[in-house]
Amino acid sequence: MLTVEDLTITYNNKKVLSNFNISLNQGDIFALLGDSGSGKSSALKFIAGLNTTSKGNVKLDGKRLSHNGEHLISPESREVGMVFQDYALFPHMSVEKNICFGISHQSKKIRQSRVKELLLLIDLPGIEKKYPHQLSGGEQQRVALARALAPSPKLLLLDEPFSSLDKSHREQLVAQVRDILKKARVTSILVTHDDQEATKFADIIGHINNKSLTIE
Amino acid sequence: MPIFVVAFSWLLPEHELWVHFSENLLSELVQSTLILLLGVGIGVTLLGTVLAYLVVMVEFPGRKWLEWALFLPFAIPAYVLAFVYLGVFDYAGYAQVWMREVLGLPGFDVRSGSWAIILTFVLVFYPYVYMMARASFKRQKLNMIEVSRLLGAGPLRTFFQVSLPLARPAVAAGLLVTLMETLADFGVVSLFNYDTFTTAIYSAWGDFRSIEVASQLASLLVLVAFFLIYFEKKARGQAKYYSADVTNKKPYHAKGVTAWFISLFVFSVFMLSFAMPMLQLILWGWESIAEEWSVKYIDLINSTVTLTILAALITVILATILALPSRCKKDSIWLKSVTRLATLGYALPGSVMAVGLLYGINQISIINIYFGGESVNHIIYGSITLLLFAYVSRFMAIAYSSIEASAQQIKPVFTQTARLLGASRIRLISKVYLPMMAPGILAGGLLVAVDVMKELPATYLLRPFGWDTLAIQTYELSAEGLFERAAVPALIMVLFGSLLMVVFQYLDKKSTR
Repeated sequence: MLTVEDLTITYNNKKVLSNFNISLNQGDIFALLGDSGSGKSSALKFIAGLNTTSKGNVKLDGKRLSHNGEHLISPESREVGMVFQDYALFPHMSVEKNICFGISHQSKKIRQSRVKELLLLIDLPGIEKKYPHQLSGGEQQRVALARALAPSPKLLLLDEPFSSLDKSHREQLVAQVRDILKKARVTSILVTHDDQEATKFADIIGHINNKSLTIE
Repeated sequence: MPIFVVAFSWLLPEHELWVHFSENLLSELVQSTLILLLGVGIGVTLLGTVLAYLVVMVEFPGRKWLEWALFLPFAIPAYVLAFVYLGVFDYAGYAQVWMREVLGLPGFDVRSGSWAIILTFVLVFYPYVYMMARASFKRQKLNMIEVSRLLGAGPLRTFFQVSLPLARPAVAAGLLVTLMETLADFGVVSLFNYDTFTTAIYSAWGDFRSIEVASQLASLLVLVAFFLIYFEKKARGQAKYYSADVTNKKPYHAKGVTAWFISLFVFSVFMLSFAMPMLQLILWGWESIAEEWSVKYIDLINSTVTLTILAALITVILATILALPSRCKKDSIWLKSVTRLATLGYALPGSVMAVGLLYGINQISIINIYFGGESVNHIIYGSITLLLFAYVSRFMAIAYSSIEASAQQIKPVFTQTARLLGASRIRLISKVYLPMMAPGILAGGLLVAVDVMKELPATYLLRPFGWDTLAIQTYELSAEGLFERAAVPALIMVLFGSLLMVVFQYLDKKSTR
């Protein structure tokens, strides 16, 4: 279970978001809607432990991750996965190496079977040896998702992952990714500025309006 | 031309002298040159990459000013750093005197072995790797590092598996420039009495008066340089993983002891490569300025400034013409080859350039005399044409790469928009291209100016009578062991150079903001 309390986001000493409180159960999919500059991506980064200028408390499965703005657990050990708008796949690694990056401590056998299993899940079997630049935008996005899911994170953060895809691909992928996340029972937060996308993807929707969050 | 000429020298062998060189010296030359290249290569790669990574990716006390301060060693010519360190650590230098008299330790010969000379080169040339790696790390997406961290990779693993592989082409390019500079160096190796191909070329020309053997040795050097170029091109060819957005956010914040340890490390590199040598130069200069300063310095400064400005201007104008975006450039093999040929000179050591040009002029004179004409030697040798030619061809690549980078920002849409708004080709160039390329042109010009001012080997061989520069004066005094006096011209040169570097950094800062 994830709880975020009293999250305040500041840019250049100016408050853009305050009193941000959410509580999600395992497997919940939450969509966070807001205009650009409303602090929604910064909220995601804070939950991931990457942002240091904001304040708030984050708890995941009973473990305190951040308290009063101080990150008690580093991003490396949070068991939180993230998918970015531009995928951020490592261009010098094959699909297989990208997916295995977060599970390098496992044995080779386990790694290989995990890659197979995840490629089936994202419906792209047999592309292990391909490089990111050989894949289409939608394929790259799904590989980025597989990479984030590989270490079985307790929480998955998605920062506008569909925004650089064209409309027809986007609708298809939104449904596919939702299915994948539901199957894997991962708690997820999606940041987007597209109402329709949020409705199709999430169980719970939050809006950022006038520097505060309202939940539908 | 110099390349063809030195290759041509094999047709006119001076047999005995060549046999003497190849039997007695060649294997030793190859060995000592290789040891030097290997040591310097490992040193600059480690130091340059680590420093660049720290200033781009980690927040630590003093990072902001150290990031810029680490560029300053560019302003110090290699031979100046060499004579400062020799002056301090030589048998009679005060570091050794102190060690012997106060600590009672035995003295040592700083010139024996290769560690001291390798260290000197590393301190002087690391900025090449630092500069290129820094630019490459800055272009890396912050997301990439953040993903790696969220997948559980610590700073070291992220460095080795993500950041470093992405920056590898840039590191390789910096490394190769360093290796070429090391190969081309004449000042440091001769001050340290260390034999390399370059010193052998001088010896063949200076001691034995054999331009043929000098050319033959030079052609071997060209072969090594071409080998290096080939690898550089290969390394660059794969460099397609750049992203354009430059980020100034630091993914890592060092805390406590680690932060101070990093600061101390970066600060000591700055101290050793710039601040301490500068301080020593100022002390020596202060002691000897009354003795050393004379009217001739006005001439020295005059000729240095004249040559620097002329060479920088010509280079920048030619490089700008080559770098202007043009529709035909993409398709024309001819234009592509001209550009490639024009930028090959940077792989050519100044000594090879000089020997090639001298030998070429000599051959023209011989042919001229054969057909009843006169020797052209005195006309060419007496003017600065040859020297300027050498500077321009040697430093063209530096100007070109800087100007080309700014030309690449001119997207086809700008050209199309200007054309649709009725701009003629001339108006397009003067109102759109040149203003957009201006920062690159200025930066390229500044880098060339710093390099021309420091240049020693080609200047040494090609300067006409009465055209001594500050670099020549510095080298000649320090070669005689007159370090205190050499500090005066060196200091003037370093001050000019630092000024140019400060302007360069200001431009760089503006463009990455």
